[in-house]
Amino acid sequence: MATVTIQNLTYAPAHQAPVLRDLTATFPGGRFSLLTGPSGSGKTTLLRFIAGLTPLPADAQLTFDGQALTDQPATQRSRTVALLFQEPSTQFTMDTVTNELRFALENQQVAPADMAAKITAALDFVGITALRDRSLMQLSGGEQQKVALAIIVAMDSDVILLDEPFASIDPATRQTLLTRLVQLCHQQGKTIILADHDLSGYAQWVDHLTVLHAGQLTTLSATATQERLAAFTPERLRLTHVQRPTATAEACLQGQQFGLTRNDRVLVRPQDLKLLAHKLTLITGPNGSGKSTFFRALVRLGAYQGTLAYQGQDIQRLRRRTYARHVSLMFQAATAQFLNVTVAEELALSQKYGNATYFTPDRIQTALEQLNLAGRDQQIIYSLSSGQQKKLQLLCMLIMAPDVLLLDEPLKGLDLQSVQAALKLLTTTQRDLHLTLVMISHQLGGLNDYVDYHLALTHQQFVYQEATP
Amino acid sequence: MNPTLKLTVIVLIALEVSFTQVWTVNVALIVVGLVILLLAHIRLRTLLWLTAVPLFFASALVWSLMLRGNASPHFLIVLFTRMFVYVYLGATFTQTTAPLDLTRSLEQNAKLPSKFAYGFLAAFNLFPKIRAEVATVRAAALMRGQVLHVWSPQLYFKVILTAMTWSEQLADAMTSHGYVEGAPRTYALTIPLRSRDWVYFVGSLALVQVGLCLGLP
Repeated sequence: MATVTIQNLTYAPAHQAPVLRDLTATFPGGRFSLLTGPSGSGKTTLLRFIAGLTPLPADAQLTFDGQALTDQPATQRSRTVALLFQEPSTQFTMDTVTNELRFALENQQVAPADMAAKITAALDFVGITALRDRSLMQLSGGEQQKVALAIIVAMDSDVILLDEPFASIDPATRQTLLTRLVQLCHQQGKTIILADHDLSGYAQWVDHLTVLHAGQLTTLSATATQERLAAFTPERLRLTHVQRPTATAEACLQGQQFGLTRNDRVLVRPQDLKLLAHKLTLITGPNGSGKSTFFRALVRLGAYQGTLAYQGQDIQRLRRRTYARHVSLMFQAATAQFLNVTVAEELALSQKYGNATYFTPDRIQTALEQLNLAGRDQQIIYSLSSGQQKKLQLLCMLIMAPDVLLLDEPLKGLDLQSVQAALKLLTTTQRDLHLTLVMISHQLGGLNDYVDYHLALTHQQFVYQEATP
Repeated sequence: MNPTLKLTVIVLIALEVSFTQVWTVNVALIVVGLVILLLAHIRLRTLLWLTAVPLFFASALVWSLMLRGNASPHFLIVLFTRMFVYVYLGATFTQTTAPLDLTRSLEQNAKLPSKFAYGFLAAFNLFPKIRAEVATVRAAALMRGQVLHVWSPQLYFKVILTAMTWSEQLADAMTSHGYVEGAPRTYALTIPLRSRDWVYFVGSLALVQVGLCLGLP
């Protein structure tokens, strides 16, 4: 059980306003602390400081049970604190699950004879014994997060930090991981600090919500906490307006005997499938079920079985250049979309080739303000927070206004206010320009009013769903 | 054979072959390389590639020297076979050694600082990622109305930028899993350095020396 104490932490990125201002806080040992705050409020920055990944400014103090991390022997630091990253795939060094676990234990100078038992116990605890010898790169995001948690369990770290660990994870996996975390906290006395935007499912575990706002941390009272958490009760996650498509509904993309496999694993058994024109279709499904792979196939970045047709023509016969302008993908990783350095350059590129008659400079300025991105023109894209990058990415792709826009987790890492602004922009543009939108999202909050069709990928089949009563 | 010794012996032989002109030794090395590759159950497709590519370059080189130069036939044969020696010897190493084993061996047997050993491993693991990244960048550019060709600087700018991000992420990943530069570590698997490895090492070098001495005029 380790209590985390932070004193006088001020941090400002180069040439920018401070993100953390004279922040002082205590995270009690053996407790589950939930940290929330708008995107870009500095949650990741704070967690990186606590994890020791960013060196502390000179006048700030950070202690674990009164001891600074730097006072501990280097090889023991990972026993004190460990961080589970937001981006699942970026937290591994080695090739397979076992090798990564070994690597972590080697660093802690665990005797080789004890490693096998520790590895088995950690994998068992998270329930992923089957993944033991799998290659990390071939696992889905949710599976990778489970592995990352297993490593922290194996390292036996006292303080476990999690930076939006569920951002790209389906509700079932999220629940499993959350249960495990609470178990670690209650049974093994671990201190857990978890940053999240999506506050659903925490009500029974969290007494006091910690909010990071304007560079300062505040702890809400029990009543205020319950109020905030209530805004995310499962009742509001239902889709009440969706319907099954009629036989006559106009399709823009059609698959015939379309099937998907990855590394000899069947993701989608061959089936006929259509995506409907000028509508917003939501695709859901468990992690690793093949949703992103489906999108990559649709934009010809991955192999598939059967045929895919765009407006009746086989997409393999269309010119790559032409097709890319008609059917575009908003990648899950925002940085994959950017081609320039600053925000202004990126917007200018979209304006040059996109729908400039609709997206006039005024309209873009309004959109930037709605998305809380105004005044960042000269900022380097890669120094934006992940939420800001996501919003900029969305705007850039909307300006391009392709006939069909595939959106892979466009709301990932956005706070509720940003989700609403993004959805408003998205649906207004869709209505005005008659776009077809297909969206993968694990985050269902706020979507109900906008989604026309709900396509679920379960048991290797895509099936349109009825409205939930 | 121990990966570090294997790598050393192959580099030494390749160096020697570069400075001597004995085509019989070259042919012997090619045969040995081929036998090792076949014993390692190399895929036929890989073997064909490993043969076709040097064949093209060796033929082109020899042909141009025949047309333009006044090189002796002996020298041409040496050049032709040397190309295959490099490729086959290199392949005997890559086809029979897992990168992780080499990393562990470099760390444990050659006492290379773990920073370099894992840096090497990371670079190796990055290759497939870079290829996928190039395809993604080009597709992303097309969707924005820009065509990036193989020679477009923007493509490389973007890939290098991504690689730089990866390197930072990798450093963070290593740190968060307890890696500390220069700190002592234990080894989950020990890569043995047996006396039989040294026998192979000295033996194969000696054989090459004998061959070269016999072959040299």
